[in-house]
Amino acid sequence: MDNLQIENNILETIKTAFKVEGKVVREKRVEITAHKQLISSILLFAKNQHNYIHLNHITCVDWIEDGEFEINYIIWSPTTKNTLIIKTRISRENAQMENIDNIWDQANTYEREMREMYGIEFPGLIGEHEFILEDWDEMPPMRRDFDTLEYATKTFYQRPGREDAKDVREELTKQSGEEIPEFAKKYSREK
Amino acid sequence: MTITENNIKQPIGEYIQNWARKHSLFVLAYGTGCGAIEIPPTMTSRYDAERFGIRGAATPRQADVLLITGYLATKSLKRVIRVYEQMQDPKYVIAFGSCTINGGMYYDSYNTINALDRYIPVDVYINGCMPRPEAVISGFVELQKQIASGNAYNATKYKENLEWYRENQKKIIKNWRMPDYNW
Amino acid sequence: MEKETTLYIGPQHPGITGNMMVKLKVTGDTISSASTHVGYLHRAFEKLIERRNWLQSFTILCRFCVPEPDPMELTYARAVEEIEGREVPERAEYIRTIVMELARIQSFMLWYGGQSGSSGLYLVGQWSVGDRNYILDLFEDLTGGRVYHMYIWPGGVRRDLPEGWKDKALKTMDYLEKRLDEYDKLMFDSTIFQKRAQGVGIIPKDKAIEWGVVGAPLRGTGIKHDVRIDEPYCAYDKLNFIVPTQEGGDVWARALVRRQEIRQSISIIRQALDKMPAGEFYNKIPNPMKWSIPAGSAWVKTESVRGEVGFYVESDGSNKPRRVHVKGAAYTHGVTVLEKILVGQNIADVSFILNSLGVCPPEIER
Repeated sequence: MDNLQIENNILETIKTAFKVEGKVVREKRVEITAHKQLISSILLFAKNQHNYIHLNHITCVDWIEDGEFEINYIIWSPTTKNTLIIKTRISRENAQMENIDNIWDQANTYEREMREMYGIEFPGLIGEHEFILEDWDEMPPMRRDFDTLEYATKTFYQRPGREDAKDVREELTKQSGEEIPEFAKKYSREK
Repeated sequence: MTITENNIKQPIGEYIQNWARKHSLFVLAYGTGCGAIEIPPTMTSRYDAERFGIRGAATPRQADVLLITGYLATKSLKRVIRVYEQMQDPKYVIAFGSCTINGGMYYDSYNTINALDRYIPVDVYINGCMPRPEAVISGFVELQKQIASGNAYNATKYKENLEWYRENQKKIIKNWRMPDYNW
Repeated sequence: MEKETTLYIGPQHPGITGNMMVKLKVTGDTISSASTHVGYLHRAFEKLIERRNWLQSFTILCRFCVPEPDPMELTYARAVEEIEGREVPERAEYIRTIVMELARIQSFMLWYGGQSGSSGLYLVGQWSVGDRNYILDLFEDLTGGRVYHMYIWPGGVRRDLPEGWKDKALKTMDYLEKRLDEYDKLMFDSTIFQKRAQGVGIIPKDKAIEWGVVGAPLRGTGIKHDVRIDEPYCAYDKLNFIVPTQEGGDVWARALVRRQEIRQSISIIRQALDKMPAGEFYNKIPNPMKWSIPAGSAWVKTESVRGEVGFYVESDGSNKPRRVHVKGAAYTHGVTVLEKILVGQNIADVSFILNSLGVCPPEIER
């Protein structure tokens, strides 16, 4: 395909340089999956050789079933207007990831947030431990095994009145004895 | 000498005091939550809250009304308590939106409180998410009615029941490093 | 050698743009270092979205940034559409464009008030925030809500334009265009504003992209970058508009960029209303309670007033999102960029610079 030429070129260059898996998702989106030790060298290579000088985003996804965190680095190049997504997986136990705030200063903010919200350690990361939360002593809250509802019920006073928030339509039909119309039955919550 | 208005009997001194107070409500400029976005429209030309004597004040010590514009994160709650205790009598609290009443859509969030009146006394609750400027003004008018009838005594209630409030506050704020005020 | 003192601006401060705190180290009147402290508005949105289904998330999403909720809805809707492969009717694309531009104008009007108010020109705010109500009226007619709309859904929009809305919108645009010239006289012609804004809060052009600057602050340094042009979405590729840029990178340049952009927005709305085709406005989605999205992830960007808004959405094939991660412009503007450009500035300019960067704290901590 002609219109995906830039994307394919980038993918091929990185594939040959680092021997990693990758694909062209769509126009202007290239996705690469790499081992965590390769991340900083791929980022530096993309930044210096292919002008991916803008760090768009760093995000973390908790795959609790696999016992892994997925960290995605999203970078953007102003010359080709292309976005490169670099995915890596790290273990959930003693989660540790390389600190990249010497490549981009703003990575510091993302990493501080991930340290606080997921408990991922970044060796050498400078900055206060508290970024968003204050005096938090439970497990990092964005981990999927943290139950926010349970914590909220335990900690905060729950005003009575919420527990009867039921399906209004069904409550009304029970009270008045009317039939639920045929078309509405498929939306019922009590199935 | 007493004066009777709307079936409420008041000594004339108190009546004059309340009348003056209800017509000059200085609102502390502290946008604690998303409801603060409807404050600029309320204060500016179309809704013009200043005709009710409502206007902004920059510091807590000059303000009469504290607006809690929505949910309070626990980190914010600490600052709000501090601000509330710095304010001078008479002081009133208006709480905006469903999230101050019972948590609203954030009922299951680990970081927002669910019932504001457990932590600081609330004079008027305005429901809705978020309340329109009309609702905000009607909340203020309700507060003015309470002031005029001499019923807005929640600040005194706070001082009298300080221990109960402190106990609730300290349950959530784990690290209590705040000065004590001796009003 | 003067003594260095620590100064806290916020969370309770009339000049701060929301509930946040900037901790300054000052020597005399000059700032020697700054650090942003957030978390006063943290509601754990991204955690709550994991507990809501795909459609319920919209009530939470629009609250990510209060002055401008619509780009959040649109970005999320587009991300869901991309993962699921859902088509959007052409009419819906035009309606979305109009909603986005209306949101842009109303946010600019609020910015007029904030930017001029922080330099002492309070009258501009009285006028522009008052006039902003006319746009909120249009939103109310269209969506039923003044501030939060929940109008843009995956597959289209929630309802069609009501009868007579087009004429009302055109009339409002005519009125606003007239008023804009009057704001100019009050704000841009004012010597106070010119002297306060010029040469303050400079973002260097060669570092801007690397620092993560986006949106109007980036265009204020002379770099032409706009998601609406680079990766067109909605109906932007069928409409004519220019992306204004200014040289300088200071508050003045950013203000001039915004001044021109609001006029472009008015022109876009006129064109879109004119070119809008008839037809369906909605591509029906299945029962939202059981609606599952196939596994996959998407990174989608939209241009909001403050800069680009990006959504990373990950689906594991169930009826709830696995992860929705939002990157608002304020995430970099409000923390690292602000900390860098505040050094060497005057204390009195802090809220002025905050307003010009459009820092919106709920976007940082979510």
